[in-house]
Amino acid sequence: MAPPVAVSPLIKTARWSALLLGIFYGKQRFEYLKPIAEEERRIEEAEKKAREEQERIYKQLSEANSDTILK
Amino acid sequence: MAQAVQKLVAKVPTLVGAAVTYSKPRLATFWHYARVELVPPSPAEIPKAIEGATNLVKAFQKGRLGQTTVKEAFRNGLVATEVLMWFYIGECIGKGGIIGYNV
Repeated sequence: MAPPVAVSPLIKTARWSALLLGIFYGKQRFEYLKPIAEEERRIEEAEKKAREEQERIYKQLSEANSDTILK
Repeated sequence: MAQAVQKLVAKVPTLVGAAVTYSKPRLATFWHYARVELVPPSPAEIPKAIEGATNLVKAFQKGRLGQTTVKEAFRNGLVATEVLMWFYIGECIGKGGIIGYNV
């Protein structure tokens, strides 16, 4: 087994500070995106309800208007 | 079906034992290298790191960029990529998931 390499201090500091910066960045971005996603979900819910209402009305109307002997 | 499950459950201790015997020497090798190479810098090493960074900047300013060999440049590129990967791993830890943000 080769002996372990003595890593230069610059590289070590760069690695671990990159790790800490990454954790910080990930946390901040997550907190930034969370309320936006909740808002989008809320809007999607409301729109979905409106759309389903429309579809229900359309279906009812089309069923009432269709005169086929297959009923 | 129940018999198959019972046989499987009876085999689990042997499987766990085999996994431990397999991974022990490999964990030992990993630990042997990681204890020297992957440790965070001690407080005494941080000034040396800052000095190394200033040396790098000064060498750039003196125009040594034109004197780096392709081999050196490739090696430095690999090291820089590795540092960048640590940043992405940190981001995965911070956002609590591997792929994408679970908002």
